Amino acid sequence: MKPVVAGVDIGSTTAKCVILGEESRVLGKSLSVVGVDIVKDAERALEAALVDAQLSRSDVTFITGTGYGRYKVYFGQLVVTEISCHARGANFLFPGTRIVVDIGGQDTKAIRINERGEVVDFAMNDKCAAGTGRFLDVCANALGYDVGEIGALSLQARRAVKVTSTCTVFAESEVTSYVSRGKDPKDILAGLHASIANRTLSLMQRVGVEPEITFTGGVSQNEGMVHALQRRLGAPVNVSPLSQYLGALGAALHGRERLSAGAS
Amino acid sequence: MITGGLDLGAGVIKGALLEDGRRILATASVPSRGIPVQAARHVLDELGETANIAPGDIDYLCTTGFGRYTIPERNLQVSDFTSSARGAIFLFPGTRVVVDVGTQASRTMSVSETGKVLKFKMNEKCAAGAGRFVERCSKYLQVPLEEMGPKALGSEHPKLISSVCAVLAETEIINNVAEGVPLADILMGVFLSLSQRAYSLMRYVGIQPEVTLVGGLVRNVGMVKALRETVGMDINVAPDAYYAAALGGAILGHARLVKLTQAPSAVGG
Repeated sequence: MKPVVAGVDIGSTTAKCVILGEESRVLGKSLSVVGVDIVKDAERALEAALVDAQLSRSDVTFITGTGYGRYKVYFGQLVVTEISCHARGANFLFPGTRIVVDIGGQDTKAIRINERGEVVDFAMNDKCAAGTGRFLDVCANALGYDVGEIGALSLQARRAVKVTSTCTVFAESEVTSYVSRGKDPKDILAGLHASIANRTLSLMQRVGVEPEITFTGGVSQNEGMVHALQRRLGAPVNVSPLSQYLGALGAALHGRERLSAGAS
Repeated sequence: MITGGLDLGAGVIKGALLEDGRRILATASVPSRGIPVQAARHVLDELGETANIAPGDIDYLCTTGFGRYTIPERNLQVSDFTSSARGAIFLFPGTRVVVDVGTQASRTMSVSETGKVLKFKMNEKCAAGAGRFVERCSKYLQVPLEEMGPKALGSEHPKLISSVCAVLAETEIINNVAEGVPLADILMGVFLSLSQRAYSLMRYVGIQPEVTLVGGLVRNVGMVKALRETVGMDINVAPDAYYAAALGGAILGHARLVKLTQAPSAVGG
């Protein structure tokens, strides 16, 4: 019987944990908001996933940490970068993946991978909030919405407004000025999603665009963003309800490989 | 001869009235709040009241800044580089480099002794290094804008900000607050971060004395201290440097009007 492994992905905004059992079946998972005490957040993420899996800590043989806060996963045995984890996770869910697009809370990455789920090349924006989940967050707030509802609303737009600001702070003012000019918030939202799709495409072009494309990270759960990205690419993108957990899933898979490599 | 300068910035509308291109009769400023034309009217009214003149007594009106084309009664419009440079030279004749940290853009230019712009560099793409960043900090740190500078002066170990992006810096600052970093150190970190952005723009145009700070942040003692430390030399500041672009506009308007009145034949007379 294959041992139970866990992956903990501490992002800038949320912590994710996935517990894998036999045949790499997902036994449990958790998603929680990250605060100031990252060490505690990491522990809580694991505990919550254990509860979800109805397992106890001693049932888990190997734990891998990843993400921005990966060095704060003190209880883990291995640390892997989130780029390798997203690559591995995307390959697991969609074996045909060649490009992984990860839009997280505070950064965006385009990762080119091979058929074994190994990283060939990547490009990333972690210098600025433009084109990240944070951009959507700030603009949603400016319009008085919760970030969870804006994707669906953007799909009801009739005529997308063109958002020209790259900078999140300036986009926020731009959004406010459109509201004061009487533009429909749905049209503004569609414009915001299109603007992120544009930025994402230029990031992807740095590694080369090639099917299949798998969309991961928190923003992949936003249906408006999936639509905008597909429209901009003119091609479908893979998305799964597990997309947001791909980093943690990939971490668990890396851990499993490390375990079997050690055993042989 | 009375000339007016109106500087329609992204955040605040500033105005100045000059007599004979030399004597300051009045200065005024009003936040634009998204309706710059209306704010500009308020500024003109206030200028008229202070100088005790009717709007019709302004012989020539020169507009400048981001919204300079929105005022129909203008006689002339000039770019904010040109006007700030001219205003800086008026206030400090030895000025060779002008630094202007505005609400939505920060600019720096090297100028000749007559106030001509020689070289310039600007960041208008992103809020890093712009006044809007300070405004946001004021909001989430709950320190009124005018108190930020004085409070920052008490800093002993400024907490530098590693993020360039204003939005990501916000997260960093909030984490610093949660970790118990003293407010003064956080505030000084904000001003040092802005100063570093300004400094990198200044290096494009070449740094040489005298350096004059104009625009929105001249009244901020924290920013002035941080900029002096970062640049490693003295920086000219004056209360009227807040109105440098408006003053420059009024001066350029005066020069144009003098030229027009001296050469009436040019307009067919």
